Amino acid sequence: MVLSFARRLAAVGPILLVVSLLLFVALRLLPVDPAAMSMPPTATKVEIEAARSAMGLDRPLVEQYAIWLGQTLHGDFGTSIHMRRPVGGLLLETLPATIELSVAAMIVAGLLGIGGGLALFALRNRRGEAVAELTTTLMMSIPEFLWALLFIFLFGVLLSALPFTGRLDPGMTRPVVSGFLLLDALLVGRPDIYASALRHLLLPAAALGIAFAPPVMRVLRTSLVDVYQEDYIRQARLRGVGEARILLAHALKNAILPTLTLMGVQFGFLFGGSLLVEVIYAYPGMGNLMVDAVRNADLPIIQAVALTYCVVVLAITSAVDALVLLLNPRLRA
Amino acid sequence: MSVLRAEGLIVPARIGPLTVPALRDLNLALAPGKVLGLVGESGAGKSMVGRAIAQMLPPGFTVSGRGLHFAGQDLLTMPATERRALLGRQIAFIPQEPLSALNPVRTIGSQFGEHLRRVGVADWRAAAVAALQSVHLPDPAGLLDRYPHQLSGGMCQRVLIAMAFASKPALVVADEPTTALDVTIQARIIRVMRELQQLHDTAVLFITHDLRLAAEVCDEIAVLYAGGVVEHGPAEVVLNEPLHPYTKCLLLSAPEIHGPRRGLYTLPEQMPGLRALADIPGCRFAPRCPLARESCRNAPALLVLKDAHRVACPYPGEVPGISAGPALAAPEGQAGAVLVEARDLGKTFRTGTPFRRRAVAAVQGVNFTLHEGEFLGVVGESGSGKSTLARLLMGLERPTSGEIRLAGRDVSRWDGAARRTRLQTAQMVFQDPQSALNPRRRVASIVTQALEAAGLPAATREAKAAEILADLGMPAELGSRFPNQLSGGQRQRVNIGRALCLVPKLLVADEIVSGLDVSVQAQLLALLARLRAEHRFALLLISHDLAVVRYLCERVMVMQRGVVVEQGRTEDVFANPQHPYTKELLAAVPKG
Repeated sequence: MVLSFARRLAAVGPILLVVSLLLFVALRLLPVDPAAMSMPPTATKVEIEAARSAMGLDRPLVEQYAIWLGQTLHGDFGTSIHMRRPVGGLLLETLPATIELSVAAMIVAGLLGIGGGLALFALRNRRGEAVAELTTTLMMSIPEFLWALLFIFLFGVLLSALPFTGRLDPGMTRPVVSGFLLLDALLVGRPDIYASALRHLLLPAAALGIAFAPPVMRVLRTSLVDVYQEDYIRQARLRGVGEARILLAHALKNAILPTLTLMGVQFGFLFGGSLLVEVIYAYPGMGNLMVDAVRNADLPIIQAVALTYCVVVLAITSAVDALVLLLNPRLRA
Repeated sequence: MSVLRAEGLIVPARIGPLTVPALRDLNLALAPGKVLGLVGESGAGKSMVGRAIAQMLPPGFTVSGRGLHFAGQDLLTMPATERRALLGRQIAFIPQEPLSALNPVRTIGSQFGEHLRRVGVADWRAAAVAALQSVHLPDPAGLLDRYPHQLSGGMCQRVLIAMAFASKPALVVADEPTTALDVTIQARIIRVMRELQQLHDTAVLFITHDLRLAAEVCDEIAVLYAGGVVEHGPAEVVLNEPLHPYTKCLLLSAPEIHGPRRGLYTLPEQMPGLRALADIPGCRFAPRCPLARESCRNAPALLVLKDAHRVACPYPGEVPGISAGPALAAPEGQAGAVLVEARDLGKTFRTGTPFRRRAVAAVQGVNFTLHEGEFLGVVGESGSGKSTLARLLMGLERPTSGEIRLAGRDVSRWDGAARRTRLQTAQMVFQDPQSALNPRRRVASIVTQALEAAGLPAATREAKAAEILADLGMPAELGSRFPNQLSGGQRQRVNIGRALCLVPKLLVADEIVSGLDVSVQAQLLALLARLRAEHRFALLLISHDLAVVRYLCERVMVMQRGVVVEQGRTEDVFANPQHPYTKELLAAVPKG
């Protein structure tokens, strides 16, 4: 397993290369002309050709790819055609926001999922089981954007309890240290900004998290049921170990392993799912950046954002693998 | 004053609308420092006794009766919290599967510590080290930081024994503690258990299916059949002068490693399941009993004979007359031509990381020949390379050195010719029919699987299936069943029958009777002997059970760590073993 983990890490490079190639080719096949779009409508053909040449779009595709790859490897993602700013800077601004949202959502999903899984397990073979099953099925069939709209309606409009646009109250200025708003608010010592940021994060994170919690619940419940069939649980009971201790110190430690693996896979989907939620909540993250870029056929941004998604997902999967490795001594042999 | 006393203990099981006693009217008394054996085949209810003590019964089962007294308190009426307080302190359990009875994600130390802290040991680390020393485990301090999967089954069982005895309990319940272990390990585990039991004067309830092992370990034995005690007495007496027909048949149906060769008694059918019990009036053994008569329809009481020897049969005088048939005769005529020839055969597996390559020699320099129609047994402990040898023969693994010739052809290389030779010559029967038989296929289709490629009409296949089932001694209507609708013994028959569909010249059988009850084992061994007489095939029988090999095979090969340490005629090898390992294996078999 240590070996397979190392192998997987070694595969990250080739995977990124393949993704970048697919991305590049796919975007170049689109019938859009970034050079023409970057020019004012009054521009002449000659001017557009000049722009095309300046962007390097008249060179062979292979060469274009090589140039782009070389620059990307050096951290230069090019310049946005539409916004005329370096893409790297745009990423630095938006990526922390999206990570903040995704991590918050994952925490919601984890708490709900593990709590719900334990509740489902406690209800097994009881009268409440059918109701609980129905509830999780219902939760599972509602997609994250619907949760987002429901929450806006319920907590934002009806109860007016929580804000549902942006990251901060109007009038507050964002302190910029690391880009992670919650962290920065603490670093500059502004509890009011921290509170506001947290309130703004709550609804989008809940909408995203609640959509991903039901599978975690189900898997945890099933793993717990399986683990309770194992000899070591019976043996612990025969030693007189109490039920609470059996659940927390014996069963959960084993049942959490498949649950963690699932959560790792889910994080990738969740990170992708943040896109829609960001748009709904006007949350200035990578999702909004991407949507604007697609609308404007801003190829450098699209490429950079897509690659960033890929890197983050790979990083998360590797981190979860490492965590499972750490928690499961059998895999470390 | 007894540590444990059961009075009229009943465990009723609710199956649908029926309530059937899984245990009925059990009366037992266990004095301090004594070992009581509960012996029976699967389904006899022997494990139910341990479960009743802890009151951890399967769903639908309850426990009642006049009393189940532990040190003067009634476990049946005691509040659950008080009972739980006794567990692990005064009453300890040793499990059947040591490897799965320890939590795989926690270290030995963390589990031992949890237990010792619960029973109130202040310096748990020192106490754990001392306890592990008492079961003769090397480097006890280092062991505490290790995980169960880093230990062997025998080591895990010693850890569990150390844990069970750590609180100096008055009663230890050991449920088949050595069934999952090799015979030499079994001998060591039993010795360790006996040592601790005598040291602390602990009463032990020893649950096992092995009557001979029980006789070696226990002071007293109670034989259970279908939920009731049929015979109870001093271990020596029950083993040597059994007076219940079931005990006698059980003894006669297990082959022996010592003494003159004899045949096996084959009990018909199998122990009735819980559902069937409701329909048997009177003596539950009567439907299978050689002494049964009309009066057996009334339930027999447990008669007290002499010296607290009790038997639930009114005709004990006729029991000594029950005898097994004559020993299996060696096949007549000359040994056939050479069928299998292995020369310097070897298989090395490579494992480990690229930085730390390890080569494990599973089979090394093996030479043997097998003649047509000959039965050859391969014995050895787990990890000795027996199964790898079988897989090499069948072409499931590729030899890394040496040569195998099958029916005169070299099949060491993997090519079309070797494959065809193998398909025409050899078939294999795998150990576990549960996983070897496709659960989605009907029995008739399974046993005729070998005909599939030939594209024969359905009627031909059906006729062949009926023929094979008749050969296996199974009714033809079972052909339309699925494997999970059969009993364990029937499944293993189907497993064997499938391999015999095209009557191969060589049958390779890997532990095909392990894990089965002795009465079912006797049926299968009889079946193999009969099929051999009818079809004349050669058999390579892999078994950890020396007695089975002695019963069935003319020649034996003893393997240890991938090497054949001794081979020869079974009678010669077992009567006069040359290699120290063969001697150790033979000495470890319980004599009773």
